[in-house]
Amino acid sequence: MFEHLLNGFAVALLPLNLLIALCGCLVGTLIGVLPGLGPTATLAMLIPLVFSMPPATALILLTSVYYGSMYGGSTTSILVNIPGESASVITTIDGHKMAMQGRAGPALAVAAIGSFIAGTFSVLMLTFVGAPIARYALLFGPAEFFALMVFGLCTVASLTGTNVTKSIISTCLGLMIATIGIDLVSGAARFTFGNPFLQDGVDFVVVAIGMFALTEVVITAREVHEGTRAQIVKAGKVWISWSEFLYSLPAILRGTVFGFVIGMLPGAGATLSTFIAYNLEKRVCRHPERLGTGDIRGVANPESANNAASGASLVPLLTLGLPGGGATAVMLGALMMLDITPGPLMFEKHGAIVWTLIASMYVGNTLLLLLNWPLVNVFARVMRIPAMYLMPTVLVISTIGVWSLSYSAVDLVLTGAAGLLGYYMRVNKYPVEPLILGLILGGRLEQAYRQALIISKGSNMIFLEKPISLVLLICAVLFLFLPMLLKRSKQYKAVAETAEAA
Amino acid sequence: MDIATRGSLRTRLEGLVILLVAGGYLWETFDIPDFYQLPDTPGPKTFPELLGLVFAFMGLWLLVSPADIMARIRAKGAGVAASVPPAAPAQESLLARLGIDGYFVALWVVVLAYLWFMPDVGFPVATFVLLFAFTWLLGEKRLHILFGLSLGVTAVVFFGFKYGLNVRLPLGVLDLLAS
Repeated sequence: MFEHLLNGFAVALLPLNLLIALCGCLVGTLIGVLPGLGPTATLAMLIPLVFSMPPATALILLTSVYYGSMYGGSTTSILVNIPGESASVITTIDGHKMAMQGRAGPALAVAAIGSFIAGTFSVLMLTFVGAPIARYALLFGPAEFFALMVFGLCTVASLTGTNVTKSIISTCLGLMIATIGIDLVSGAARFTFGNPFLQDGVDFVVVAIGMFALTEVVITAREVHEGTRAQIVKAGKVWISWSEFLYSLPAILRGTVFGFVIGMLPGAGATLSTFIAYNLEKRVCRHPERLGTGDIRGVANPESANNAASGASLVPLLTLGLPGGGATAVMLGALMMLDITPGPLMFEKHGAIVWTLIASMYVGNTLLLLLNWPLVNVFARVMRIPAMYLMPTVLVISTIGVWSLSYSAVDLVLTGAAGLLGYYMRVNKYPVEPLILGLILGGRLEQAYRQALIISKGSNMIFLEKPISLVLLICAVLFLFLPMLLKRSKQYKAVAETAEAA
Repeated sequence: MDIATRGSLRTRLEGLVILLVAGGYLWETFDIPDFYQLPDTPGPKTFPELLGLVFAFMGLWLLVSPADIMARIRAKGAGVAASVPPAAPAQESLLARLGIDGYFVALWVVVLAYLWFMPDVGFPVATFVLLFAFTWLLGEKRLHILFGLSLGVTAVVFFGFKYGLNVRLPLGVLDLLAS
């Protein structure tokens, strides 16, 4: 194995490939920073380019862009409270508060370090135990996936807001928006009101930009006008201190492990892993009341989970041919265009390419960290731009993110509607995050539900008969009602008070 | 009306709205055609029906607000009347209580008008107007800064996205002028 890996390094470290990896990381980071243009869109843009390249070089470009854009997505979450892609939604909670406190530099730095540690861990796992552990993903049938997604939604609903009822309403609303469009199984149009533009459904970016970007811009504008905007503390230091690193290290490690385990399940993706990892972190860490108030662990944990899941999603892709999410599905397409079919025989048939890919992931991770060292300084300066000039520009770039999805005026109108709804929700303490997660998972949740019922010939008992599904559903119920059970606990009260204040 | 009562009334109104939305959603579910549905298998209506019912239940929960009712019963049982002394009647209007003022409306009108008119008016003109109006609303009144900033940002974003990232941005009225 080591011989193969060394051969892989020999190819990945060729000057041309090294340059391609560096450019890929840089381009991925810069495009990932733009709201609405996440890893999937970035990779799709590059597909025509990789045709003319040798397979190894093409794969190096794709993986480095993938890593770069995953990291870039967190930058806007921290700086302007707008997630660059779905996996960065949870980073906004603590990341932006840190930036407002003048700690944008350490927040960006811990995101880079966490991403590096998690990325390296997931590549190590892919190298040594990728194939055996990929088989555990096969234990997950439709019933188990349904239970896993219900578990994910329940953990988020129970902890993102102080009122469980409001969180459940928010989740339901997200799931209901996800049912708009053509039903993939029967082909029936649902809730389209005869509008052909709604047949493809509502993209999560449309709603997320409305709820995060538009509301943020309007709220900031109002605060600037009324003179109530919290003064951004002048950044003290740009890089993270040693004590801050040690403080966030356990959160990074926990995020890495949770992210890897959940990210490896096909279809679960990086987004779900960040939500679950953050909520579990809130349960197990010391001083959970600090999370949500600009705590560095609140950035370190989801960012590590996000990158560990990105690496983990390559495990089922390479060993089973199953893409873990949108970005890996695009990568699968690119691999097949290069005449490489991922699957159980991938290591035997295309060993040289696979090992080059794995070696390039080590190189890509290291380059990303080296690249972000100076970039953190540049990005942190964005906070110094006065809100009156920054916010209108953010609004324009966010609008382009929505427009570029399908060049549809309907998407822009929906963004406006989502903005108004999001504003009402934020003002009245309805958490927005469960709605977004419901919208992202809705399609897959329904698909798994229906597949499970088809297998069981319509009996809902299938969810209780499968052991993994049963355990996950029990955990989901426990998580949902835990706030009621814990109401008298001092620790819970502290968390609730902090969340209320935040 | 004291703050607590106002909050509880708003919760009930939200519950009513949620219940109505759930009703409309469930009504619309009946219009979904069932194509080639096999017996004992879930169709395209199954999941939306389940969701609609859960959503309606949550709306009903807010409308009834059982915790609120229980608290009142307990307070009555303990012989405590309204513990909060009646506040002086507020003289502010309903819109002011909801935090809606002229400035707030102007902000949303500018944002929503941009989203609505951008595809027809074209990206360059609409963006220039948006940047000018929004920055002015945010307190920048110096005309040369407003003009320069709006023009500069519009040009950089337009050329950057159109030629750098191949995003098809509509020219709108500029296209008509050119032809």
